[in-house]
Amino acid sequence: MHIDQIELARVDAAHSQASGLDVEIRGLVKRFGERQVLHGLDLDIEAGQFVAIVGRSGCGKSTLLRQLAGLDTLSAGSIHFNGQNREALDDNVRMMFQDSRLLPWRTVIQNVALGLAGRSQDVRSRAEEALAQVGLADRANEWPSRLSGGQRQRVALARALIHRPRLLLLDEPLGALDALTRIEMQRLIERIWRQHGFTAVLVTHDVSEAVALADRILLVEEGRITLDEAVALPRPREHGEAPFAALESRVLKRLMTVEALNQRNQLRGRVSEILVGPVLSEIRVDTPAGMVSAAISTRSLREHSLEVGAEVLAAFKSTEVMLATVA
Amino acid sequence: MSSVSRVFKKGLAGLLPWLLPIFILLLWELSARFGWLSSRILPEPLAVLRAAWNLALSGELWTHVQVSAARAFIGFAIGGGLGLVLGLLTGTFRSAEIALDTTLQMIRNIPPLALIPLVILWFGIDETAKLFLISFGVFFALYINTFHGIRSVDPALIEMGRSYGLSGWALYREIILPGALASILVGVRYALGFMWVILIVAETISAQAGIGYMTMNAREFLQTDVVLVGILLYALLGKLADSAARLLERRWLKWNTAYAAT
Repeated sequence: MHIDQIELARVDAAHSQASGLDVEIRGLVKRFGERQVLHGLDLDIEAGQFVAIVGRSGCGKSTLLRQLAGLDTLSAGSIHFNGQNREALDDNVRMMFQDSRLLPWRTVIQNVALGLAGRSQDVRSRAEEALAQVGLADRANEWPSRLSGGQRQRVALARALIHRPRLLLLDEPLGALDALTRIEMQRLIERIWRQHGFTAVLVTHDVSEAVALADRILLVEEGRITLDEAVALPRPREHGEAPFAALESRVLKRLMTVEALNQRNQLRGRVSEILVGPVLSEIRVDTPAGMVSAAISTRSLREHSLEVGAEVLAAFKSTEVMLATVA
Repeated sequence: MSSVSRVFKKGLAGLLPWLLPIFILLLWELSARFGWLSSRILPEPLAVLRAAWNLALSGELWTHVQVSAARAFIGFAIGGGLGLVLGLLTGTFRSAEIALDTTLQMIRNIPPLALIPLVILWFGIDETAKLFLISFGVFFALYINTFHGIRSVDPALIEMGRSYGLSGWALYREIILPGALASILVGVRYALGFMWVILIVAETISAQAGIGYMTMNAREFLQTDVVLVGILLYALLGKLADSAARLLERRWLKWNTAYAAT
């Protein structure tokens, strides 16, 4: 472990000039037909920084990532890499998808070498090297269908790394993995990122993953960045540590309440009645528009100690009503 | 001891599907022997074998098989090749689909055998007419399955390929063609089945050689055994073609667990 640290420090020093891309996004707008997903988003990412984007599904975080990858056209605004306008599909940018997207008709090593030009011998040795980096050198000649989900994502990572990307985009790549494999993969990604020094943008719904990996956590809500939090914890980070847990719960709390802060779908009112049930409780709120009823779990009601007459915000999601206390 | 009995059981299990055919053959042979079946209706199996043997010895059998097989495969190559090319075209390019697909779908609804009178008027009764019918028959099996195969390639894989720097022919070779291959091979198998059906009909219209000619000739002379030899030959050739297609599936789709040889 100790030796590892020194080794990593040396590697870090070797890459101190950061081979990563510097990203500058200005006024980014993306519409799909009538629906606007990104509302004039601004974002700067330093070269070599590891940024995690969290948010609820449908908030536009994956759309933002696809914009960086050049997979969709942008409706308005601009994206610059190292001061240059982003080209449609940039060779310096590689994306790791939620599903591994390996070609089932190619062997593991052929998948890793996909799209790599050059003499077949060089290509093969580079592919072997990339596979060795993710610890799968011995599976080179197998079909992807023989691998587990975690191994497939490791192959996908090797496939991305072989192009020596300067910006690596990760679209919830670990979402489908079991908890242990996920932590293993997080360590692998962190190690490789420190070795290579590329800029990394990770989209995830797992806040603890964001805290474990990122230098900076962004919260995207309704196509806007509503939280930009630097993570100053030393690496490697352990999931159980107190500062880790504190940051995680802070971001989580923010993620849970941010829904209620949206101006457009909320009503201010006063609690008129609380009906406590064994599991679920009903809270009735008098608002200018009439009575609103919200169901919350009795346990969280006890934690938040809501009283009749308290002023609250009732926020509406598609099928439920959420309450937020007004300070 | 137990391994011996296991081998025996395995052999027995392998034999089981053949029990019924063997029983039917025996029954057939016996009923012919005892005169329950007139040899004009159904000659005994041994007589059929004997007829096949004689035809093989005289060399007649091989010429007929050769002529029929050549017809079948030339027709298959023309019709199947066109189907493949047009299917790739309409599957890949929207504009080609818009321009061609409606027309092709209309023509597809014509049963090839309904064209026989027209084909005879156009080409007479010589070789061209038979090749045309076979080509027409196999065309659509390949066209539709190729088109469908290309359209059902996972768009997520194509997107991945593009974002990894593949385009044009490389994208086609790495992702689109292999992705469509399973469906194309299904088309090949269908087309092969269809090829024999149409060949048989085409050869019975009129021919100077071929298995159909041999059986029609035998009918004139009431040689029921030779007719049966012809029918069995069709069955055998059909089975051979199907096995060849399966072999291709196993070889080209070995990555797919559904096709992998066990």
